Amino acid sequence: MVYLSTSKDLVSIRAISEATGISSGYLEQLMIPLRRAGLVTSQRGVQGGYTIAREKITCYDVLLASEGVFTPTPCKDCDQTSICKTHRIWALLENAVLDYAKNVYIEDLAGHLLEDRKGGGM
Amino acid sequence: MKISTRGRYGLRLLVDIAEQDIDAPVALATVAKRQHLSEKYLQQVALLLTRGGVLVSVKGSGGGYSLAKRPEDILMYDVLDLLEGNIAFEEDPPASETAVQRVIRHHFYRPIDRNVRTAFGTLNLADVLQADCFSDET
Repeated sequence: MVYLSTSKDLVSIRAISEATGISSGYLEQLMIPLRRAGLVTSQRGVQGGYTIAREKITCYDVLLASEGVFTPTPCKDCDQTSICKTHRIWALLENAVLDYAKNVYIEDLAGHLLEDRKGGGM
Repeated sequence: MKISTRGRYGLRLLVDIAEQDIDAPVALATVAKRQHLSEKYLQQVALLLTRGGVLVSVKGSGGGYSLAKRPEDILMYDVLDLLEGNIAFEEDPPASETAVQRVIRHHFYRPIDRNVRTAFGTLNLADVLQADCFSDET
């Protein structure tokens, strides 16, 4: 997603694979939930490829679409929440991760990537 | 990041031990009964916590485990990191790391780890025992 957002044109799976180090086969699979969640759009054909669907996509959006809901422990469905004192430690951990991921936009990371490219003289 | 049973049961073990009489070591069989956990599994976890300097083991009849330090000095972040091996999201970069991977590692995973550490702060076992330390969470 970070790489996609640095390009205005359609990007082929092969180009994404080269930039991210993710295999083409895995990328194809990954695109299915991302497309379903409305985070990427695709075009078929020889000139086909993928683009990022919109602005203001957060890392949380991407992780939610690709990984599902983040829960570090299965404690949510536990019926002992009222007596288990460790229970809320997990909520603390979960919130620390989610709150951060909700505040990082893909374009923020893309900005760092473009900066790196400039700095690296590429 | 998934916290394994080792991390979850380990914390319950510590809380349980801390809630018992401070003068006598706590037998794992009694913890197993109170917490509905397997004693065999608790033995493994207790060994790990002993090696990590969180528990001390007392051998013999009437033996068991005690806290190695005051509850105030046992940080929850450290215990989790010990039990889980490593709770960081950031991994060592692969030899062939691309620019995209590096940016995400530096600007997403690394700050997430920092955020988790900050959220835990000085949260220690004594805080967890009081349980009202979370009241400002919501």
